[in-house]
Order: sequence, then structure tokens, then C-alpha cells
Amino acid sequence: MELSPLFLILALPFVAGLAVVLLPSDSRDPATWLAGITTLACLVLTAILYPSVADGESVRYQVEWVPSLGLDFTLRMDGFAWIFSMLVSGIGFLVVIYTRYYISPEDPVRRFYLFFLAFTGSMLGVILSGNLILLVVFWELTSIFSFLLIGYWHHNQAARDGARMALTVTAIGGFALLAGVLLVGHIVGSYDLEEVLKSGDLIRSHELYVPTLVLILLGALTKSAQFPFHFWLPNAMAAPTPVSAFLHSATMVKAGVFLMARLWPVLSGTPEWFIIVGLAGMASLVLGAYLAMFQQDLKGLLAYSTISHLGLITLLLSLGSPLGAVAAIFHMLNHATFKASLFMAAGIIDHEAGTRDLRRLSGLFRYMPITGTLATVASAAMAGVPLLNGFLSKEMFFAEAVETHADSWLDTAAPYAAVLGSALAVTYSIRLIHSIFLGAPPESFPREPHEPPFWMRFPVMFLVIACLVVGIIPGLTIGPFLHTAVSSVLGAETPQYSLAIWHGFNLPLVMSIVALASGALLYLVAGDYLERSERPLLIGRIDGYRIFELVMVAMSWRWARLVEGIFGTRRLQPQLRLVVATAIIAAAVPLFYAGLGFGQYGIGVTDPAFVGLWVVGMICAVAAAYQAKFHRLAALVLMGGTGLVTCMTFVWLSAPDLAATQLVVEIVTTVLILLGLRWLPKRTQTLAEPDGGLARLRRFRDLALAVMAGAGMATIAYAVLTRAPPESIASFFVEKSYAEGGGRNIVNVILVDFRGFDTLGEITVLGIVALTVFALLRRFRPAPDTIERPEQQRIQRSYDEAEPDREPGATATDYLFVPSVIMQWMFPVIIVLAAYLLLRGHDAPGGGFAAGVAMAAGFILQYMAAGTVWVEDRLRILPVVWIGGGLLLAALTGTASMLFGDPFLTSYFRYAELPLVGKVPLASAALFDLGVFGLVVGATVLMLIALAHQSIRRLRAARIEENP
Amino acid sequence: MDWSRHLLIVPILLPLVTGAALLLIDELRHSLKALINLASTLMLLVVALVLMRIADGVPDGSEALSLSYAMGNWPAPFAIVLVLDRLAALMLVLAAVVAAAALVFSLARWHRAGPHFHTLFQFLLMGLGGAFLTGDLFNLFVFFEVTLAASYGLLLHGSGAFRVRSGLHYIAINLAASLLFLVGVSLIYGVAGTLNMADLAVRLPEVAPQDRMLLQAGAAILGVAFLVKAGMWPLCFWLPSAYMAASAPVAAVFVLLTKVGVYVLLRLTLLLFGSAAGELTGFGGMVLLWGGMATVAFATAGVLASQAMGRLAGYSVLISSGTFLAAVGMGDTAVVSGALFYLVSSTLTTAALFMLIELVERAREPGADLLTVTMEAYGDEVDAEEDDEEEVGVIMPGALAVLGVCFGCLALLLAGLPPLSGFIAKFALLTAMMNLDGLGSPTDIPARTWVLVALIILSGLAALVAMMRTGIRTFWAPLEVIVPRVLVVEVAPVMLLIGLCLALTVQGGPMIRYTEAAARSLHAPASYIGGVLQPVAGPAEAGAVAR
Repeated sequence: MELSPLFLILALPFVAGLAVVLLPSDSRDPATWLAGITTLACLVLTAILYPSVADGESVRYQVEWVPSLGLDFTLRMDGFAWIFSMLVSGIGFLVVIYTRYYISPEDPVRRFYLFFLAFTGSMLGVILSGNLILLVVFWELTSIFSFLLIGYWHHNQAARDGARMALTVTAIGGFALLAGVLLVGHIVGSYDLEEVLKSGDLIRSHELYVPTLVLILLGALTKSAQFPFHFWLPNAMAAPTPVSAFLHSATMVKAGVFLMARLWPVLSGTPEWFIIVGLAGMASLVLGAYLAMFQQDLKGLLAYSTISHLGLITLLLSLGSPLGAVAAIFHMLNHATFKASLFMAAGIIDHEAGTRDLRRLSGLFRYMPITGTLATVASAAMAGVPLLNGFLSKEMFFAEAVETHADSWLDTAAPYAAVLGSALAVTYSIRLIHSIFLGAPPESFPREPHEPPFWMRFPVMFLVIACLVVGIIPGLTIGPFLHTAVSSVLGAETPQYSLAIWHGFNLPLVMSIVALASGALLYLVAGDYLERSERPLLIGRIDGYRIFELVMVAMSWRWARLVEGIFGTRRLQPQLRLVVATAIIAAAVPLFYAGLGFGQYGIGVTDPAFVGLWVVGMICAVAAAYQAKFHRLAALVLMGGTGLVTCMTFVWLSAPDLAATQLVVEIVTTVLILLGLRWLPKRTQTLAEPDGGLARLRRFRDLALAVMAGAGMATIAYAVLTRAPPESIASFFVEKSYAEGGGRNIVNVILVDFRGFDTLGEITVLGIVALTVFALLRRFRPAPDTIERPEQQRIQRSYDEAEPDREPGATATDYLFVPSVIMQWMFPVIIVLAAYLLLRGHDAPGGGFAAGVAMAAGFILQYMAAGTVWVEDRLRILPVVWIGGGLLLAALTGTASMLFGDPFLTSYFRYAELPLVGKVPLASAALFDLGVFGLVVGATVLMLIALAHQSIRRLRAARIEENP
Repeated sequence: MDWSRHLLIVPILLPLVTGAALLLIDELRHSLKALINLASTLMLLVVALVLMRIADGVPDGSEALSLSYAMGNWPAPFAIVLVLDRLAALMLVLAAVVAAAALVFSLARWHRAGPHFHTLFQFLLMGLGGAFLTGDLFNLFVFFEVTLAASYGLLLHGSGAFRVRSGLHYIAINLAASLLFLVGVSLIYGVAGTLNMADLAVRLPEVAPQDRMLLQAGAAILGVAFLVKAGMWPLCFWLPSAYMAASAPVAAVFVLLTKVGVYVLLRLTLLLFGSAAGELTGFGGMVLLWGGMATVAFATAGVLASQAMGRLAGYSVLISSGTFLAAVGMGDTAVVSGALFYLVSSTLTTAALFMLIELVERAREPGADLLTVTMEAYGDEVDAEEDDEEEVGVIMPGALAVLGVCFGCLALLLAGLPPLSGFIAKFALLTAMMNLDGLGSPTDIPARTWVLVALIILSGLAALVAMMRTGIRTFWAPLEVIVPRVLVVEVAPVMLLIGLCLALTVQGGPMIRYTEAAARSLHAPASYIGGVLQPVAGPAEAGAVAR
């Protein structure tokens, strides 16, 4: 990447900002030097580039960023951008000098300079962007750094509120700008600024012109604090004064009018442009000036004056005439000079006198004559007094206001508004000087005022001299540069204009005189009233700040909560209901539109026994659901009935493998749930019987939903079953199972070979579930109402205690004594059975899963026969190790094939000739199955232990309760 | 068979073996377990990056192959296949990155808060890897289950009443969704007779008209299952509470879970109902579009209405999901490309946010959430007491400053403000939506696009307002300054993820090129189908001799 000066101008402030952070924390001077040198370097680099932009040319620098989306890192400097870069880096430099003396030595300035420099870079980015998206990027960055700088003294409530409001308003504008720029890209087909500037006619004639315009203007008007978005600027005055001088008068707020001027050749000249921009400008001009008069805070006055002057610029831009644009650009520069100097002077006053309340300040001239003089000259420039730069651009403004550009009341009103605004500007300028510097000094200031150090005053002085020089000899000083800037915006449309002070005795001059005189008169009449007023006359009760807060709280809090409450829920039942209902609708819509037809096959089951079996199963299922809420045990038993019917169905339909697996799974899960039932909170029917129509209605709705889901499922299943089966992959499995999979039991070959990968995943799930159950129950503490012994145990116990020849607890111990002995004897038998199931699995019903569950059933029997304590004492397997080992075995068996270059889980099968035994089938899949077996045993036993162990824990808890 | 081909199985096998092996190590040896877990996760990341390179090496638009790996060396439609393409590789890398960050974060203290954390963590990664790679519908179900089972365990990790209650809600909802998944898969199998996605894509257009509605019903039910996981309104209410209840590192990896849902929807929508699907083309697109928009709208309100930061983050996850779903519903290549970029950016962001929240909450006094809003409402009453304004900056404690910077970056990312990748993502999405036939072609912008564009922008604004509200209260105006105890291993992962977002911005060009290539191949499923059903001849045949 070559180091183009353009790139350097942009990058230097950011680099310097990061460098500041690396300085030690108490390095006020090094940080100042760094910032000063950086801004100066930007200034010099910009100045050097002048010859390249002087004759309507532009400098470009381009690096690809996201080329396929039309977003490139394009920098472009023409005359207009040049003069703005000069302005930003120049005033930036002066503000750095000023800051050195303004910010307290105790202040951690690194953060300040970081934000300050980053802002400078972002602002230069806005100016130099040659791609509209890139411009938006820097645009948003200026908003963000402005937020951080306003909130720099964030321990003050006003700073926080001001910062939040500024960011909210400008970010809304920024988002709108993004949308507007996207529309421009849509219309033009490029985001490149040069392309866009060439496409004015296309944009203005496009049907999307109005939305584009409105969105872009939203961005520009919020940024430049134009009516009705002006209210954030006065609140931003909580920022340190250097920030106000730099961001909120000279640069950032200019970004809005900069953008309007930048896109002026493309967007302006239509009635919509004129109406929107003109109205906003005129309202800001008059309203800002009016409100400025009433301010008691010095910075507040300057803030409203800024709004007013920006309104003037906006109004000029709205006119759509080239001369108006010239005046606008000229006034942007002039306003920056005198307003920045005034802000800095205000800071000096605040700093030296300890207050900036106009009511408390008076007679300061005798304490600080030099500052007083400078401030007076700057105020005069603000008021538009001849021989100062403000006068020149104001004259041009008056001249343009008088011209008729469009036939509308707005245009007619323009000259009157212009004079009114200027007159009010005169009033507040006089008030500023009069109430601060003249009059008798008060008895005491918060601080004894005196002149500031020379270098703190220097920036003010420099800018004031600039005001004077430009005001007196405009043609020799600003003239050529202004011309470069203007012609780069207007191109061929650049009009003839003259920067002379004296144009003869014409209408604009009369307007100037009228404004000056009436403004002065107004101050004479109302000066005292203004000094005492609490709030502006007539519209004082309309407080933008308050309205903004109310709207924000309503929209971002009350309404949002309302929406969340109405369209959402935090409860489980409504959510589940919605899931079921959505699924029903999702399935019903296609079926409804296409009409569900059934296939040609009947179900073909006519055997009454089978039908009877199913009737039993269905009754069990429905009854289980009916009983589930209050009679869990009954529901569980009924579910077992349904499960058994399912098993029998499998047998009936010749699926012994499924039947066997299903049977053992039924047994084990039922037992596990039984163990858990004990700990569920008690539910009595009387307690939770809601009455009233609404509750009944809810229940009917849920019933309807359930019936629909069930019936729908049954219908769909029936529709699938009665169709001719599609040509499916199943036939492949039947063919290859023995030939290539080496097993006669297709189900098992599918499980361990064809789809062994699924099995691997499923056993992982089982393992995880066991671990989760264990983890959950490890911290389980029984609820208070389940601690006491169950009723049955209490009855047994009292029986034992009542009979003199019985030990307490004997009934429980003796219970099923004979079967329990048999159960214990059964253990080895079950182990053999499990081994048998495991080994025969590949050829006949069985397999690792069935074997594992069968094995687990053996453990369950031991628990039932001998009780938890007995089993736990004698349990020799470590279930977690079995889970891990089983998984590892299964996975490693699968990887073995990789050694031979085959994919994962490729099985190996052959007959081996063993001595004595003879020919034995050996399949690598059997090892895999062994892993499955290990995991299933481990997982079930782990869950069993976790659940069963609770009964011991309960005893302990009860024991503590009984004998504390 | 070429050894590098086996790499495809590594993202599944490596976590499986690691997770299982960790079970054999005693629970008390935390450090050893953590070390093994970390090594494995980092290795997974490396493998994922290599896979991404391989996937990106496939010439764009070539029909030759997307890489597939047939389990057990059975031929394609019968075996379970793993398929690697750019999308899958991207998701793998994303998952590995987020997982690595979350794992490092957990090493500070969370990994000791309950049993078997490391195993569950690895199994979750296994499930994610499988879900991203598999080319088989039932196998997808299996890996969904692996992921979910592990997530149940992880959500409950750390215990506590709120966690258990939210966890059980989460389990109930997801079990219901899994049931729907199974129903949907069965219906599709019952009609189409295959489970292999590529094979399914070939067979679907040939399904007889009288059977088609069953297929649609099946696909719709399946879609509901995915939408529950992806968090589309009105199936998303469980999500904020569950994510909020999870411990910070777990919540960070949970961000990936919703991405599994949206990933599958994207994959299947374009594969099965793409332009080659005949009568079925575009099935469900409008549902995704409007549902996505409803999600964004609802979640936007949710973000604003959230007092707790965890809930705010949960709703941010929903905004991310909704935006992505709506983009997928548009079905345009460039929009999908932008959406993929957005997906990466928003995943990194929300994952980092969940971790950061825990650190930030250590610096907050209890009840601060409530104050955030009420102080805003009655702000002006408060400042009367604060007349005496101190005009000297206060020094922020270092730890708080670092957290503050991270918080600010995440606010920018959520709001889609520059200079971080949130902006590029939003721009990529919006510019693609507004210019469906490429920049500069005079295509009209339909009304629904306007709505979506407005929603995306407003959701960013809402995120900004909410984050600003919380950030100001936490970092600028704490009632009392509590300097949080934050370890480097906790803040480093957050910074890493933010750094990645920055890298995404700077490298936006290459990244968009990648997502564009990914989106193009998704819209031309022929290469995917070809890669699965006619894999490159040679090694596979040679392997068959082993039988």
C-alpha cells in the first residue's frame, strides 16, 4: 500500500490516538505535543495538496475493500474537500493548544486526546470519502466519538444525558442516511461519489427520488441540529468547551450542511428539496436566534446561535441557485471561524471567572480586556457587522433571499425571515458582550477573574484576526480558495460573484442596516427582560429535551414491554401449545390445499384378536393421559400397558428384534420413572381444581388441540401406510446384509454396519443423558413435602412397632423374601443371557443394545431384591468408566478401518479357522456392538444409581430432622 | 483412499474420542481434563481451518465434486455420507472459534462448577460437527440429539433453582421439537424412500402429484422443528430465559445452537426446494421471510424491554436468527451471501456478549437493571441534586475501562454501526436486498423488502438504545464503583472475538468472496448432488476389496 498523502491525512489522527493511549497516565504535555503535531501535520499535508486541486481537479486514492458490493476504500479530495480539510485540521490544531490550558492538570487526558484525535480522523474521513458508504462509515464514527466526548465528564448527569441524546438523534439520522445512500446506489448503480455526482438527472427523475431525498436529509438535518432535530445541540454543551468549540460549532455539526452541499448538484433544484430544506433552514434560523436571546448559559446561547447560523446555511442551500450555494459554502467557513473563537472565549471566561451564567457575569472587561476585545470582535462578526467576515456572507445571503427562485410562499417569506433572524442575531450578540463585559462588576465571582495565559488566548486571537482579514480584504485572502471550493461543487454552473465589501447602496445593504438597527433597538427595549427571564417567551414551555425523554421512555420502554407482553410469553405451557398448534397448521395447510387422498391398499388386518389388542392399547394410552396429572402411578402403569401392546404388535408383525428391545426398554424405563415418582411434589385433585368458564374454555381448547394433533397424526400415518411404498433404499439392505455385511439379522446389520454411524451417535446421546441425570441429581435436594416417609412405609412401621415381636422396619425387609432370593440367584443367569443376546446379534434377534438393557435389568432386579444400600455396597462396576470405555471401543473399532485406507466404520468380515472350535464367523462389527453393550450398561446403571441413591439421601435428611 | 479425505470425519470423531476418554479420568483432576479439552478444541479449530481451505479449493461452480465421505464404504444413497462444502466448512470454523473462546473463558472457574463439564462440552462439539457435515436426514436427527442432549447437561451445569427451572423448560420444548423432527423425517421417508439429502433432492421432483402433499406436510413439520431451534416467532419464547439462565461460557456456545437450526433451514431449503425442484420450488420461502420479519420485530421490542443484560443478549440472538431467516426466505444468492457474513458476525458478537455480561455484572450493584430504566424516566429529578458539576475527568479503573471498551465494541456490533463487522454485514445484506439483480439494474424494490430493510435498521437502533442505556448506567454512573475481579483468561476470549470481528471488517473483501461462492454453490445444488451421488471414482472402488 503506497503512502498517499490523502491516506496519511486520514490515518495519522487514528494512529496518534492509539499512540496516546500507550503513553504513561500522567503525560499531559507529551499527549498535547503529539496531538498538536498530528493536527499540524494534517494541515500541512492538506496545504501541500492544494496545487493538485486548484484547477478543478481532484486527487484520488483507492484501495479495494469489498469490491463485489461496490464498497471500496476510496479517498477523494477536490477543492471543496480541501477547504474543509484545512478548516478541520487548522481549527483542530488551535483547539489542541487551547485544550492544553483548559483541561485541569489532574484530568486523565489520554482518554480525551484519544477521542479527540479519533474524532478528527473520522471528520476528515467524512470530508475525504470518495465512496458514499465509506462516508456513512465515517459519519457514524463522528457520532460515536462525539458521544464519547460529550460524555467525557461522565460523572455529571448532564454530560450523560447530553451524550445519550446526541447519539440517539444523530444515530437515527445516520441510519436514515445509510438507507438513503443505499437508495442512491440502487438508482445510480454505484456508490462511488464521482459516479453519483454525474447522475443528478437520473436521480432527480427517478421514482424513488423523494424517499431517497427524505432519508438523506434526515441524516444531514439531525447532524447539523436543524429544526425539528435541533434540541440535542444545546444539551451537548455539557461537553468540555474545547469539544464544543471543535465539534459542536466548527466541524461535526457542519457535516450535515457539508453533505447537503456535496450532494447539492445531485439532489437540489426540485420542489421537494426546496420545501423540506427551506422549511428546516428557515425555522432553524429564526427559532435558533429567538431562543438564543433567552439563554442564561453562555454556551447555551452560542449553541442556539449555531443552530440559527446553520439554519442560514441550510436555507441558502435550499434555494437551488448556484449563488446561494456559493454563499452557503462561504458562510460555513466564516461561521466556523467566529463561532470557534467565541466558544473558546466562553471557555476562558468560564475557566477564569468560574461561571458562565450570564446573570452572574458582569463587568469582566476591566479584568480581562484582551479577551474582552477579541470576544467583542467575534460577536460583531456573528452579528454581521461590516468589515468582518460574517457581514460578507450575510450580504450574499440577503441578496439571494430577495431573489425569487420558486413561486411559493416560502420563497416570499425568505427575505423577511432573513432580516428577522439577523436582527435577533444582533440582539443576542449585543446581549452577550453587554452582560459579560460591560456594566458594574458584581461583588464577587466564584473565582477572581484575570487574563488567561497567552497561549490559551492565542487560538482565539488567531481566529479573530482571520475574521478581520477576511472581512476586510476577502478577495486577496479567501477568494481563490473559495473559488476552488465552489467550482469543485458547482462545476460548469459556477456563477460570477464578487467578494467585495461594497456593492453599492442596494437592497441587501438596506436589509443589513435594518437588521442591525432593529436588533440594537430590541436589545435596548428588552435587554433587562432578557436578563431576568427564566424561559423563552411564548414557546418556553415546549422543551425539546423533555419531549425527547418522554418519547424515548414511551417507545423504548413502555411500548416495548407492552409488545413483549402481548406477543410473547415467558411460560412453558403457552409455548408448548404454540409449538403443537404451529405444527398442526404447518401440516394441515398443504394437505388442505392439495386434498389428502388415501392409497389403494387397505390396512389388511382383520384378525379380531389383533384388533382387540389395539383397542386395549389405545384405551391404555388415553387413560394414561387422563390420569397423568393427579395419578402418576396409575398413568405410568397404563403407559406400560400401551408399551406391551406395542411389543406384541411387533411380534405379530414378525419383528422379534424390535419386540425384544422394546420389551426390555419398557421395563427399564418404567422402573426408572417409578424411582423418580417418589420425589415429585404431591398433587391433590381438590387443590388444583380451577373453576369458572374461562378455565373450562382453556381446557376445551387444549383438548381440541390434542385431539387434532392425535387424529391428524393418525390420518397421515394411515395415508402413508395405504400407499404403494416408494422405491426405497430398503431393498439394498436386504440384498447386501448377508452378502457384504456378513449378518443374517438385517436389523442388526443396519444398526452396526449400514447405519452404524447413527448408532454411534445414539449411544452417545444415551451416555450424555445418563451423565446429565447424574449431574442433575447429584445436587438434588428433596422438596420439603417429600422428605417425610411415604404413607405405606409409615403404616408398615406403625404395624411393626405395635407388634412386640417385630423389629421396626422388618416388614419392608421381609417383603417378597422368597422372590428376592430368586432374583439374586438370577443375576448370573441374566449375565449369560446378555452375553448370548450380544453374541448372536449379528445373525439372529439380539445385539449390543438389547443385551445392554437386559444386563441393566439384572441390576434393577438386585435393587428390587436387596435394596439400595446392599447393592451400592457390592456394586463393582464403575458406570462412568463403562460409558467412556464403551464409546471408545465403538469409535476405535470404526477407526481401525482407516488403517487399511477405508472410510470410518468400514466393517471387516470373514470366517476364521480356530483350533478345536472350528470355523467361526468374525465380524469387526461385533466389537462395535460390544462397545454399544458397554455403554448401555454403564448409562442405565448410572441413572439407576443416581435415582436410587436418593432414597438413602432422604433417610439421612429425615434422620437429621428427627434427631437434630 | 487419500488420507486427507479422512479429515472429514475428524470434526466428529475427535470430540467423541476426547469426550469419552475424559470420562476415564478422575473427576478431581480438573487441570488435566481442561488441558486435554483445550488441546482437542484447538486441534478441532485447526482441522476446521484446513477443511475450509479444502472446500474453498473446489473450483467455483464446477460440477465435479463437493467432497463427500461415505461411512462404512457403502455406496452413496445407502450409506450415511458426510459432505463438505464451503457452507459446512464455514460453520465448522465458526463453531470451533466460539467453542475455543468459551472454553478458555470457562477455565477461570466455570469448568469446576459441576461434573463432566469437559465431556459434555466435547460431545456438544461432536453434535455440532456432525450436524454441519452430515448429508443424511436421519443422521442429522441423531446429531441434533447429540447436540441437544449435551446442551441439556450444559445448561444445567452450575445448578441453582433458576437454572434448573429454565433448563427443564428448555428440555420440554426441545423434546417436543425433536418429536416433530422424527415425524417429519418419517413422512418424507415414507413418500420419497430415501434419507440421503442429495438423493432426496433428485427424487423430490419425481414424486407423484397425489403424494406430493404428504411430502409437503412432512417438510412443513420438519420445518417447524427446525424453526423451534432457530427461534422463529412464535416458537422462540423459550430462548431468552434459557440462554439467560445458562452459565456464561455455556450461553456463548449455545449461540451456535440456534445457528444449527438456521443452517439446516438454509441447506435444505435451497437443496430440496431450489430452482430444480419443479412444483416444489420456493416451498416455505414466504414463511421464512415473514416469520423472520416477525421475529425481528418481536425481538426488537424484547431488546428494548429487557432489564437484565442476559435477556437483552437472548433477544439479540433472536434478532440475529430472524434476520437470517428472512434473508434465506428471500432466496437470492447475493442476499444469502450477505446473510452468511451477517451470521458469522452476529454469532461472534452475541457469543462475546454473553461472556462479557458475566464480567460486567460483577461490577454492578444488585438492582441496577431496574435503575437503568427508571433513572432514565425520572432523570431530570436527579440532576437537581447535582448542581455542583465537577469539571475534572475521573479515572476509570483499568479493568472497568477494558470491559467498557469491549462493551462499546459489542454495542456497535449489535447496532450495526461502523467500524466493526456489524456494519459490513448489514450493508452487505441491505445492498443485496435492494438490488436483487445486482447493483445498477433497474429492478423495483418490492414492499416486503422495504419492510425488512426498515426492520433491520430499526433493530439496530433498538440495540443501540438498549446497550447505551445499560452501558451508561454501568460504566459511567455506577452508584458505587465496584472494581470487578476479572482474570485475563476471561477477558481475553471476549477480546479475541471482537478482534475477529475487526478482522472481518478489514478482510471484508475476501470474506464476502467466500460467502458469495458458498451462496452460489448453495443455489446450484447440482454440484452438491453430484459430489454425493457420483463421487470421484478410484479410491472408493479400491477400498471395496477389503470386504
